[in-house]
Amino acid sequence: MPGRVECDKLCPEWPCESPEEFKGVWVVAEIVDGELAEASLQMLTPARRIAEKLGEPVTGVILGPPGSARHADELIKRGADEVLVAEHEELSEYYPEVYGEVIARLAAERRPSVILLAATARGREMAPYIANTLRAGITADCTDFEVDEKTRDVLMIRPPFAAIMLAYIRTPFRRPQIGTARPNVFPVPPRDESRTGRVERVVIEPPKPRARLVSRRRLGRRETPIEKADVIVAGGRGLGGPEGFKMLEELASLLGGVVAASRKAVDAGWIEPERQVGLTGKTVKPRLYIAVGISGSAQHMVGVREARRIAAINIDPEAPIVEQADYTVVWDYRELVPALIEELRKLKEEGPRYLEELLKGEVVEIKPGGEA
Amino acid sequence: MPLRILVGVKWVPNTQAVRIDPKTGTLIRQGVPSIVNPNDLAAVELALRLRDQHGGEVIAVSMAPPPAVKGLEMLLGMGVDYAYLFSDRVFAGADTLATSYVLAHGVKYVERERGKVDLLVFGQETIDSSTAHVPAQTASWLGWPYIYYARRVEVADGRVRVERVVEGYVEEYELPMPAVISVAARSFKPREVTLRGKLRAKTEKPIKIVSNKELGLDPRCVGLKGSPTIVAKVTYLPEVPRRKEVYRPRDARDGARWLLRKLLTDPETRDVILSALWGGSGAREG
Repeated sequence: MPGRVECDKLCPEWPCESPEEFKGVWVVAEIVDGELAEASLQMLTPARRIAEKLGEPVTGVILGPPGSARHADELIKRGADEVLVAEHEELSEYYPEVYGEVIARLAAERRPSVILLAATARGREMAPYIANTLRAGITADCTDFEVDEKTRDVLMIRPPFAAIMLAYIRTPFRRPQIGTARPNVFPVPPRDESRTGRVERVVIEPPKPRARLVSRRRLGRRETPIEKADVIVAGGRGLGGPEGFKMLEELASLLGGVVAASRKAVDAGWIEPERQVGLTGKTVKPRLYIAVGISGSAQHMVGVREARRIAAINIDPEAPIVEQADYTVVWDYRELVPALIEELRKLKEEGPRYLEELLKGEVVEIKPGGEA
Repeated sequence: MPLRILVGVKWVPNTQAVRIDPKTGTLIRQGVPSIVNPNDLAAVELALRLRDQHGGEVIAVSMAPPPAVKGLEMLLGMGVDYAYLFSDRVFAGADTLATSYVLAHGVKYVERERGKVDLLVFGQETIDSSTAHVPAQTASWLGWPYIYYARRVEVADGRVRVERVVEGYVEEYELPMPAVISVAARSFKPREVTLRGKLRAKTEKPIKIVSNKELGLDPRCVGLKGSPTIVAKVTYLPEVPRRKEVYRPRDARDGARWLLRKLLTDPETRDVILSALWGGSGAREG
């Protein structure tokens, strides 16, 4: 739409450019410990959808030390049409300004209409710097994207307020349109072996970092991070104290899962912040989420929307969680969780015989090819 | 060497106090009080500790409407030395880029009035929008180095050392000053407001309200006009369909068995449980 941008009405700090001059959807791929981050691959899912609606290609962008180009193929097989690779010794260590500056320079030169990044720790740190360097708009933690076919603006959809409202954010006059999404909001696209694409190496001279990495060491033994767990047993304020988590730990370990928590339990200091689920914590996607003593505030539940099933154990039949769970048992967790543990132990030890007893009289859904 | 430390704070609606009208399913915003963003208090605490250690001054800076004075008074009560409130109708409706533009120029304004700034600290993110944009954006306008998720901060020889934990690693960085530091949530337990501090806030009024007349920014660069992003529309988050089966058991064992029966006859959860208990595919011959 020519004439859409009236340059004299724009902030003179912004370059006045026509949105039509910008083409292509970029996904900035993050490499951690020599591996492509799963969260970055997940961003190919919305990127493909947007690109198809716009009729523009998806470009993967890789920054790293020499040798990083080997990740290009994975991006192509999972949905990128082409990959830009910026390899440089100076990119061996990540610094937000350096990475941010390099990506901003590439974008200023090649003018994509959209840039997507995963909202990992690094993504959250780097994305707003890229946006500002380009004087571009940015929307954080998008849960969905739509394309306005008339204006070709991408609507970035995010929960902005109390996790209840969805805001549709539009960037009418500036390009690129930058968006981030939290890990696990989108699935990793399936690998398609037949896909091929161009890999282009770009020559860049990264700016010298002003910050210096003094040391970096891996934390000791790490449990499965909650964002990767199939089963999560989460505790809230209803636990009444840190002891409650011991019980949940036992239940989680029987189920091959991990323990997580609501913000209130973390604020109370009962469990470490890495285990927090919800708006100010993490988004998880287990098959089974067991919420124990969690009232079910909107801020918490926004983090478990992707859970396949939610079970709740709560003493309060009026708690909001009851309306948002698949199965709720109204009982004191101090008695119910030990009873669950005991039943599971029996099931573990006695095997199918006990399963039969448990399910007596139940109609069992049989999956094709599976025995029940 | 004494330090001049600025803390960026946001005046936010207390989203924890927002309730849903059970009849209409809409937000009840009325009577929702505004507060200083809780994560910002950790940044204030860090600034106060560094000042207590090295000398100097802590100055809170905020872009907000006039009622935010209340919040700034609270920070003065904690021991903050001065506060600047950048407040003007033309700042309304700002997205994070336009907000950081005002803050960055606010920092320059404070420097002109009080002298060079060594550190600008922020909280991890806000409770009302949680974008975590503004620290990096402000750093970009100022051209200062920056780092997120600081949980320990030390200053020596004009440089700042920051320890942080991200994605399974403990990292230590050193940055030249001036620098922008965003503080990890809960890293520094904020001190209480003291009576003496409150009294000082009331009597000395060390809060300066600065309008855009004094800041002198192009109105096209601030507020709604200076925001590349606009909110096109707002809707409610659609509900996730759930089974909503509720059981009030006779006793704990009855409850446990009910729940297990549900989970073990549900194809979504059956296999994951049985394979955890029995190993393998979960479909053991029996």
